[in-house]
Amino acid sequence: MPHLTLSALEKRYGAAAPAVASLNLKVAKGELLGLLGPSGCGKTTTLRMIGGLIPVTSGQIDVAGRDVTALPTHQRDMGIVFQNYALFPHMTVAENIAFGLEMRRTPRAEIKPRVQQALDLVRLPDLGHRKPRELSGGQQRRIALARALVIRPSILLLDEPLSNLDAKLREDMRTEIRDIQQRLGITTIFVTHDQVEALAMCDRIAVMRAGHLEQLGTPHEIYEQPATRFVADFVGRANQIAATRDADGTIRAGALVFRGPPGPPGQVTALIRPHRLGFAPAEGGNTAAGIITRVTYVGDLLACTVDCGGVSLTVEQPTLPGLPTPAVRDQVRISWRIEDTLVFPAE
Amino acid sequence: MKPRTALLLLLPALAINLVAFLAPMANLASYAFHGVSPSGAILPGLSLGTWAALFDDSFYAELILTSVLTSLGVTALTLLLAYPLALFVHRAGPRTKNLLMVACLSPLLISAVVRTYGWLVILGDHGVIYSVMHALGVEHPPKMVFNQTGVIIGLVQILMPYMILSLLAGFGRLDPAFEEAAASLGAPPWTVLRRVVLPLSLPGILLGFLLVFVLTVSSFITPKLLGGGRVFLLATEIYDQAIVTLNWPLAAALSLVTLAIFGVTLGLYGRLARAMEQA
Amino acid sequence: MIHRALIALLFAFLLAPVALVFPMSFSADRVIAWPPSAFSFRWYIALFNETALRQAALNSLLLALGVTLLSLAIALPAALAIARGGFRGRDSLMALLTAPLLLPTIVLGLALLIVFAGYGLIGSWLGLAFAHLLITLPYALRVLSTALATIPAAVEEAAASLGAAPGAVFRRVTLPLMTPGVIAAAAISFLVSFDEVVISLFVVGPKLTTLPVAMYRYVESRTDPLVAAVSALLVLFSLAIVLLLDRTVSLRKAIGK
Repeated sequence: MPHLTLSALEKRYGAAAPAVASLNLKVAKGELLGLLGPSGCGKTTTLRMIGGLIPVTSGQIDVAGRDVTALPTHQRDMGIVFQNYALFPHMTVAENIAFGLEMRRTPRAEIKPRVQQALDLVRLPDLGHRKPRELSGGQQRRIALARALVIRPSILLLDEPLSNLDAKLREDMRTEIRDIQQRLGITTIFVTHDQVEALAMCDRIAVMRAGHLEQLGTPHEIYEQPATRFVADFVGRANQIAATRDADGTIRAGALVFRGPPGPPGQVTALIRPHRLGFAPAEGGNTAAGIITRVTYVGDLLACTVDCGGVSLTVEQPTLPGLPTPAVRDQVRISWRIEDTLVFPAE
Repeated sequence: MKPRTALLLLLPALAINLVAFLAPMANLASYAFHGVSPSGAILPGLSLGTWAALFDDSFYAELILTSVLTSLGVTALTLLLAYPLALFVHRAGPRTKNLLMVACLSPLLISAVVRTYGWLVILGDHGVIYSVMHALGVEHPPKMVFNQTGVIIGLVQILMPYMILSLLAGFGRLDPAFEEAAASLGAPPWTVLRRVVLPLSLPGILLGFLLVFVLTVSSFITPKLLGGGRVFLLATEIYDQAIVTLNWPLAAALSLVTLAIFGVTLGLYGRLARAMEQA
Repeated sequence: MIHRALIALLFAFLLAPVALVFPMSFSADRVIAWPPSAFSFRWYIALFNETALRQAALNSLLLALGVTLLSLAIALPAALAIARGGFRGRDSLMALLTAPLLLPTIVLGLALLIVFAGYGLIGSWLGLAFAHLLITLPYALRVLSTALATIPAAVEEAAASLGAAPGAVFRRVTLPLMTPGVIAAAAISFLVSFDEVVISLFVVGPKLTTLPVAMYRYVESRTDPLVAAVSALLVLFSLAIVLLLDRTVSLRKAIGK
């Protein structure tokens, strides 16, 4: 039985298009589900409805088989980590963490050790007496996590928990949150607009767009078998080619002709990930001749823009010592596997 | 929060607003349009008698005109004196600026009676100005108080903090880089002031003008005490009609005239402010 | 150089009337005259014997305290409802509740006089309290609304998510965070009530008057340095309140916030 079930969940503001439209989701116990999408896609609205911070327009939310749709936030037993920490500025770190326990009338003797456990869990054992404003952004983030976890909530809700952190700290926190979540086995909903974050951390990802669920799947499925052009474009980078498809699966974009998966003929958009394109010939795959028009070196990657009969394609290669460095105006042949060509009907 | 809870929380504030503001103001307005019996009770039926009396007597037309002109003069003078002060405060270093702000605004915390009394000490018959002029050899120094001069001097000083506050708010968008840019392009200081600083601070000037004008029209303590009963303005006349003559309908009608002046001023301000934004 | 002198002169113009009441209050003369022929404490002693002014001062103090407490008690719930109520027309409601500040006090005073006269409220504590609440409430409401607006909604939501019921959220999170605003609202309400004179002039009576009204009446009829002594004390009093406010608020900043 799923731990969290959203049934036909909907949120409307006035007569405008719904912020979230008939959303159905089942989240298993201990699963980390990511809600991924651009801003305004309804992911935060969904999280806020689950947490009881805004009322639902229609639909139902069940936790462990119990309908919680009408319950106010303070009776839902969910730990929430807010985007801007939302630590209480007038309380010390320890008082912040103890707050939820006090609200649950936990005996005083029990509060202290549990606060310490929570501090140990986020690896900040000695900061209990500090005020939030004396902590760094990363430390505040961890305290917010400790405060949400100490009440042993039935569900953990994370609202963009890694935004506003610098790149290095982000990666550390990513693994740390995932570790803690796995260790505690806590069902977690994770809202983010960062596809790398979602791919790296989540058991499953729900990609949302304009209030609708676009695709639900494992990170691998989302990346390798995107259900729609939007998902393919939003998750990972891709060369986009406006083209037509013949009945036999041949795809034509000007002078560039290649093969893709079969499908109904007509106007299509073909997407090819830059790192799946290569200069070495691929067995039985697609090939195209072109001229390099730009070379960008970014350390671990070399990005070459190649003009193939009027279609501009970006090829990304890992930089390896000894490999010849291509130069602008070089004549090259690029190749890729047929199954790396993603084709969607044109919009 | 449920709507019912919100209403419950608002109820006391709404009750005070109704009892001490809406109902008395509505009642005041009705007084101006009703006849009143000698005992003070409102007579039924609309009557324009008060207004007829008001328009018949040229004293009132003159009173309204004097009030508006005096207020305009006071406001212009306040602007003239407050502008250099505000600019000086705006350009001061952060620490000095705080101190100067306190100095400029602290008079607001002190009762108008006290500040007006201070002017009696300065302008009075044997006051500071008199003794200084006397010491300089002026035989009969001019009378400075219980006339128009005293009222204007007092009002200008008492309303200056409001003007400074508005001007400082307007200076907010005055980046020193603009002045530096103008200077680097070859503009001498006076031209920088005229072509850059003044135009940019126009919204603040307009706001200050509105605020001080409106406050002058409605000010009562200063004209009453420094005018010594010889200076007649709208506010003092409303008081006299209400308390001394007990002609409440006339006081009410004059109040509505004052409110009308407020309304016209606000409307003009809105137009000018909008025009300025579009320019 | 000329520039500096001009600025100094303007500052002198702005501050002289308040500054001069101090030397004048120590004058030994029977009338206002500058410079005083000699200095003495005679007007402070005279003040001590002026029972009417002393009673008026006591009245003003009591009234200001009462009005301050009432202002907070009425404006705080209203500010909460407007800030967190989530209903339509909150801006218009705020405009209505702060409208009295836009109107001339002379008109407000007259309006109250006409209504209060009919209900025997002239010269009564209740009438004065209503009159002062009319102008202290808008100030308190504005200050408290601003204080509430600076508290991020997420902090209150966090408290709710940790299990705090609405009452507990207010007591444990909202109120402590808006304390500087509450203190400021109290100080402003107190000063506005204590200094209010025009509206009071219309609603005081022979048995009950306030200090600013008593001073106004005194200055209207006599010009001696007695009022300078009162003024000097009042200026010091206002200063003390402002300093106290500054201390408490910045002290709170030092501990919490």
